[in-house]
Amino acid sequence: MAVETAAKEVLRMEHITKQFGSVYANRDINFDVRAGEVHTLLGENGAGKSTLMNVLFGLYQPTAGDIYVRGQKVKIDSPSQAVKLGIGMVHQHFMLVEAMTVFENIILGDTRSKGIFIDQNARKKEIMELSQKYGLDADLDQPITELAVGAQQRVEILKALYRGCDVLVLDEPTAALTDQEAEGLFEIMHKLTGEGKSVIFISHKMREVLRISDRVTILRSGQTVETVNIGDVTGEELANKMIGRELKPSQYEKMESDGEAVAVLNHVSYHKNSKHNGLNDVSLTVRRGEVVGIAGVDGNGQSQLAMLLTGNISPEEGSMDLKGSRVARFDPNGFIQENVSHIPEDRNKAGLVGNMSVSDNLVLKTTKDPRFSDANGLHLKKKAIRNYALEMQKKFDIRCSSVDQEARNLSGGNQQKVILARELEASPDLLIAVHPTRGLDIGATRFIHDTVIAQRGSGCGVLLISADFDEILEVSDRILVMFEGKIMGEYSGKNPPIEEISLAMAGK
Amino acid sequence: MGSFISNLILASVRMASPLIFLSLAELYSQRAGLVNIGIEGIAAIGSLTGFLISLITGNPLLGVLAGALAGIAVNMIFAYATISLCAEQIVYGMAINIFAPALAAFIYRVYFGSGSELVQAGLMGSLKSMLGIKSNNFLVNLFLDQTPMVYLAYILIIVTAIYFTRTKSGLNYKAVGEYPKAAATLGINVIGIKYLSCVICGALAGIGGAYLTTCYSKTYVDGNVAGRGFIALAAVIFGRWSSGGVLIACLFFGFCDALQIRLQLVNNTLPYQFFQMIPYVATIVVLAAIGAKKAGPKSSGQPYRKEER
Repeated sequence: MAVETAAKEVLRMEHITKQFGSVYANRDINFDVRAGEVHTLLGENGAGKSTLMNVLFGLYQPTAGDIYVRGQKVKIDSPSQAVKLGIGMVHQHFMLVEAMTVFENIILGDTRSKGIFIDQNARKKEIMELSQKYGLDADLDQPITELAVGAQQRVEILKALYRGCDVLVLDEPTAALTDQEAEGLFEIMHKLTGEGKSVIFISHKMREVLRISDRVTILRSGQTVETVNIGDVTGEELANKMIGRELKPSQYEKMESDGEAVAVLNHVSYHKNSKHNGLNDVSLTVRRGEVVGIAGVDGNGQSQLAMLLTGNISPEEGSMDLKGSRVARFDPNGFIQENVSHIPEDRNKAGLVGNMSVSDNLVLKTTKDPRFSDANGLHLKKKAIRNYALEMQKKFDIRCSSVDQEARNLSGGNQQKVILARELEASPDLLIAVHPTRGLDIGATRFIHDTVIAQRGSGCGVLLISADFDEILEVSDRILVMFEGKIMGEYSGKNPPIEEISLAMAGK
Repeated sequence: MGSFISNLILASVRMASPLIFLSLAELYSQRAGLVNIGIEGIAAIGSLTGFLISLITGNPLLGVLAGALAGIAVNMIFAYATISLCAEQIVYGMAINIFAPALAAFIYRVYFGSGSELVQAGLMGSLKSMLGIKSNNFLVNLFLDQTPMVYLAYILIIVTAIYFTRTKSGLNYKAVGEYPKAAATLGINVIGIKYLSCVICGALAGIGGAYLTTCYSKTYVDGNVAGRGFIALAAVIFGRWSSGGVLIACLFFGFCDALQIRLQLVNNTLPYQFFQMIPYVATIVVLAAIGAKKAGPKSSGQPYRKEER
């Protein structure tokens, strides 16, 4: 696509600065987009990509800097202004009203058609034309709640196109998609650029960036590092520019463990007939000193597996052995007493109490410990808790303004570190880690993988559940594939048969 | 017996009307994401204002209008605190429930002095008397022997149903209560709609209160709203946040209210308080049975902050 470099510039952002209090989220950023190109914004979490796009979309007002659309200087003070200028955005967290249908979501806020009432037939015809033109199939009458993530994303893109956008911003669009769905998205992106529309693609997944982009602008700590043509760089160079230091490609050594079986499931079933939220005759073993990876597309019973292994639900059929003895009662506290640790799949909903301080979150499980309280939890030793928190902050490199800061104000990576500190400090016998690196950048991901491997080294049995296949391949010693609540097969983590595993993930 | 039942039905429709106004007030508020538990208090102010203006001007319709305006004025306190200052909605709703009825009682004392003599104002005439129809047929009574306010209540139900299901504006309004951030990204004026919802809510709750002193009882007494503002909250949940559902709920609660009055008259062995409990017990039972499956607007009760990270 390098031939098209002479193409028309549609958008330019000059010297954009955005401050939140004393923090600079964006500092003197320059960025431009040409017609018909995919321009990637690359950067780690917190590098300022989303902030910059929110400025472009009128959700944030820049502290300083100018925006030009088709050569004209503009002031974008609201999303509707952005839409009028032909800018559309698909947010990382979808802006879809779940209680409404696809159709209602697309026409929401429509100001182009006249009249008080909704002319269903006319609007639907327009939407269907768009959807056929760009291969965005959608069932207009379906409620949003019944759609898979990929389909919801198509609705978001349709929504932007319906408003007549020329520049489409996709904020980490592949974060929640399976590889197949991501391929579908790339095809749609090609169709869009083929029609002369421009796409701003935000990502930190190197493989995708190399595959789809025409140009890449790298952001680091809120500042522009460089804009490059994709043909002129390698993935490694991009990664190094992004994190600002050398990233050593390291592979963890794969172990074959014959240690004690810490957790054994014997023909366990739970809501057997539910394809997406149940378990169907699952048997597995996790031994000390190994990482067992559960691969599979999200929503094939992984959440239930994790809840069962941490005592949050009890099986309807089958049994479980924990460190050699049969589990009689499934309750979370009992499992915690047995030294089972859990990194839950949703750190905000289940992992942390957002409104509580970092230090309080760190001792949530151990308030009865005589180190932290007198009389079995009756009176908390605030000072000891604080000192412990400071120690953990150092040990796990938790970046926060103070350990008294509310946990919800931390970035995703640092929230996850708080959870790691709480769950791993007691040297667990069994660790259930669910999507431990979801939404985290390369640096934080590496830290978490290192920590998990270190646990393995100290004799902990680890069950890693992840929808990120690369992550499973990276750290698992044994790989199990789940599909519709069933275990489809078991593979060695050493030289795994990738083709075969991919097929198993699709249920074949 | 026949007259007992037909009287019961007539009374149910009459008793349902104030509930419809109050429930629609709550519905419009919640659809924009504002849980306003202060309906009871707003209705009290509306009730007193309606009474005073109707007494002074001799025109109950002007009384209703004044009740609506007073309701809006009081609800603007709630609006400013919860929308602009992002304050806790339940706290401010409760504050209005404490403040507004006390203000109403205070104004009444100031205006009439502390004498115990009850002042009476004229009631609004029914359509039947306006048209000069003499017939006492049940259907004639059901459809014509009602004050204009009753017709207004039912018209509002229909208008509301059409608004929320058929119009573009209604769809945008609902989006504000469901996912204000998404609404904002589509260029919908979230703050504006929230304020609009408070104007509608205040007006309807004020009208509901004024109904009690212009169409139902000739006089104002403290506490005459008698928990109807809270029953309206229940009616919105019972009615699954839809206009039609609210109508059914209000008729049901109106029926319970009418039934208890009739039973009090018929029966003289049981203490009358037992019958007075009926509407409230029904509310508890209905909420216990239906309240568990919450399906209201998703962002109800949560403040909307611009530029939140």
